[in-house]
Amino acid sequence: MRRSSGWHPRLVVAAVAAAALTLAFVAARGLAIADALDSGAPTPVSLGEKIFADASLSASGKMACATCHDPAHAHAQSNDLSVQYGGAGLDVPGTRAVPSLQYVSLIPRFGFGDDGPFGGFDRDGRANTLIIQAMRPLLSSNEMANASIEDLIQRLSVTPYADEFRQVYGADIFADPNGAFQALLFSLSQYQTLDPDFRPFNSKYDSFLRGEVMLAPAELRGLALFNNPQKGNCAACHPSHRGPNGEPPMFTDFTYDNLGVPRNDEIPANADPTYYDLGLCGPARTDLENQADLCGQFKVPTLRNVATRHVFFHNGRFHSLHDALQFYVQRDTNPELFYPVAEDGTVLKFDDLPPQYRRNVNTEEVPYDRHPGEAPRLSDAELEDLETFLNTLTDGYDPTATPAGN
Amino acid sequence: MPVVRRNTRFAVSRGPRFHRFACTGLAAALAAAFSLAPSLALADEAELRAEIADLRKQIDEMKEQMKAMMSQGKAAPSAAAAPSPSPAGTAAPAATPALAERVDKLEQQVSAQADEASATKLFSYGEIAYSHPTHDSGGTQADLARAVLGFAHSFDDRTRAYGEFEWEHAVTSADDQGESEVEQLYVERQLNDRVAGRIGLFLIPLGLLNEHHEPTQYYGVFRNFVETAIIPTTWREGGVSLLGGTESGFNWNLGVTTGFDLSKWDPTSNEGRESPLGSIHQELQLARARDLSVYAAANYQGIPGLTAGGGVFTGKAGQGAPNFLAPDARVTLWEGHARWQPGPFDLSALYARGTISDTQALNLTFVGDPTPVPKSFWGAYVQGAWHAWAYKDYSLAPFARYEWFNTAASYEPVPEGLGVPPSPTERVGTIGANFYIGPNIVLKADYQKFHVDTARDRFDLGFGYNF
Repeated sequence: MRRSSGWHPRLVVAAVAAAALTLAFVAARGLAIADALDSGAPTPVSLGEKIFADASLSASGKMACATCHDPAHAHAQSNDLSVQYGGAGLDVPGTRAVPSLQYVSLIPRFGFGDDGPFGGFDRDGRANTLIIQAMRPLLSSNEMANASIEDLIQRLSVTPYADEFRQVYGADIFADPNGAFQALLFSLSQYQTLDPDFRPFNSKYDSFLRGEVMLAPAELRGLALFNNPQKGNCAACHPSHRGPNGEPPMFTDFTYDNLGVPRNDEIPANADPTYYDLGLCGPARTDLENQADLCGQFKVPTLRNVATRHVFFHNGRFHSLHDALQFYVQRDTNPELFYPVAEDGTVLKFDDLPPQYRRNVNTEEVPYDRHPGEAPRLSDAELEDLETFLNTLTDGYDPTATPAGN
Repeated sequence: MPVVRRNTRFAVSRGPRFHRFACTGLAAALAAAFSLAPSLALADEAELRAEIADLRKQIDEMKEQMKAMMSQGKAAPSAAAAPSPSPAGTAAPAATPALAERVDKLEQQVSAQADEASATKLFSYGEIAYSHPTHDSGGTQADLARAVLGFAHSFDDRTRAYGEFEWEHAVTSADDQGESEVEQLYVERQLNDRVAGRIGLFLIPLGLLNEHHEPTQYYGVFRNFVETAIIPTTWREGGVSLLGGTESGFNWNLGVTTGFDLSKWDPTSNEGRESPLGSIHQELQLARARDLSVYAAANYQGIPGLTAGGGVFTGKAGQGAPNFLAPDARVTLWEGHARWQPGPFDLSALYARGTISDTQALNLTFVGDPTPVPKSFWGAYVQGAWHAWAYKDYSLAPFARYEWFNTAASYEPVPEGLGVPPSPTERVGTIGANFYIGPNIVLKADYQKFHVDTARDRFDLGFGYNF
């Protein structure tokens, strides 16, 4: 007698049992992992979150990472100061505007490509990893101003989460200040890399790219101007399209550019007329000081959440997005709007650069390829549309909310 | 390779002197043939055949001489009181059949070696092009357009492997502009008298040029625009196909292959405007293969000198790319062609049209970019050549061709003011001549006039070979 199927009953039972056991094992393992994440057992990420928000780790006792990189403001400043004040008395000024740390872990290492330098952390790319980058603000005299690593670790060892720190890194971690410092930097780096708060990709534009929502007409016009190589040409440095494997656009190509941003007198250091912040070639960064063609170049930042910023460019010279956009299109057609004018009427263009580096300024790429008397690449109405589009890059958009205009 | 032994089995007897001489001579000839055997495997097939014929002739002559000597030698021992031992006399006649057997075996071995040597063939073609834009002499360029090497190997009389490898623009490296690629790599087997099957990376049988793109096979220095911008010659996909023909001259070809990947479309570059399908083809390079394509092509060649046919290729191009806004986009390419060669004339015409569907949502994210995805693109040409002059193996064939093509004839609608207008249809007139040196070498010259982009008007010279 031939069976209709080839499965012997005993084989079936064995197969089902094996499948059930496998399922049980996987489920148990999965639950164990979920338990570990939910149960509150400390991890480097959870420690990093606590350290990031802990003002007691500063000389003043009042400055944490989160003070200037406020999670509620796209991990950037909430005030409109061009530079922040740190140090033990919160009275030592910085020299550059606070960058947003949103999406920071997606920045590649610093290197030189076909088109020049790219990548790196800080506005001049001098830190190659998040661990290296976090060292400076903790010890810098115009930021959290810890006098030394031992000083910092001493403060860390008396925080409410010091026991959790020991749990993760070892009971005697505080006996070795350098080791504890490494662990602290590692925690911060892991937090910025793994915590989903740093990479939400939930702006209106992200929903549009997923086909979930349609942009409003003004926003669509703004996108067209953003992409158009003869109008805004913004996408040339701030790409707006998905990557080859469907990755969401970062709105920066991580390269460097010199826009000739006007000197900002709000920065106390600029009171010294011989002081120039030259970005890639110094003064904060010293390894490229002989590459004269790089002087004045700063990293292209992401435009995600740009509409939430209060200050723009490396020196916080502009305090509104509109003004920053206007600078792009009218820098060369109406320079008198942005630069000091001498008594004889000449405009001191590119005054934040020593004379020998003024020729480094980018004057060839649209939209800042104009000459005096020529019309700007974008009219006022077009600039408004562009700004409306840039507002769609703000995280925290809810596509299911009633769309009564944005 | 046969084992060569210095044979002592030949009974070089102490018989009559001429008999001994004949046997020695035959032995020498055989020894020479044995020593020649290894090098025969490396010689040209024609030479091999000549060698075999020559050896056969020699052996036959030797046989005749032996026979003659045997019939004479048989009488000799009875005439003389020969002290020669009888084994010598009896050994000689016994040796002849053994010798003949050796000779037959040798013939077979040599023949087998010759067959082996012809089972694998190498082929190659190359082209060099010089082009001089008449309005921009600074754009004059000379380029080794392509160098191709390939092989065809027959496993048996109905199975073969075929490979074709190409280098474009002479130098390939991270800093250079050349490309090196595998153009074809497949195995074909004759399944029965009428049908063959192919598996591997092979050319799609659409158009007149895609499958027959060697420099001696087309007129003009550069391949025509319709069959580069619309049909992306040389267009190859990976998959399986069946091909066959009927006695009445109807040839058909069906296949299931990889297709295009629309997620490769770059709206910021000009590539999609130069060739829509060329910018999204995968060439079996880590190809996304979730959506396969199918094609069907047919040609009627029953009347001598006439080829008429066409085909269609269709497949989805979304390929399951993550978060892609055109997941159901379908690429379809139709073409029809005819070629008639009455006497010294060579007339041809072709029409091809491609479409990409479901691009509206994707193009919305490309507003403002110079190259959104087109909905349709097409091309057509008419061409006439005249093999006007021949002398020995030189011949001259002047020709003229007129082509129309549009790589972005229409787009899906986008909100007003944000779209890109459809391209104008480019028209190119080409006149020139091919000068053939034998069937395998060609020198070419032509002049091309563009209707829309007149900056591209140019005068070209070319050289190509093919074997």
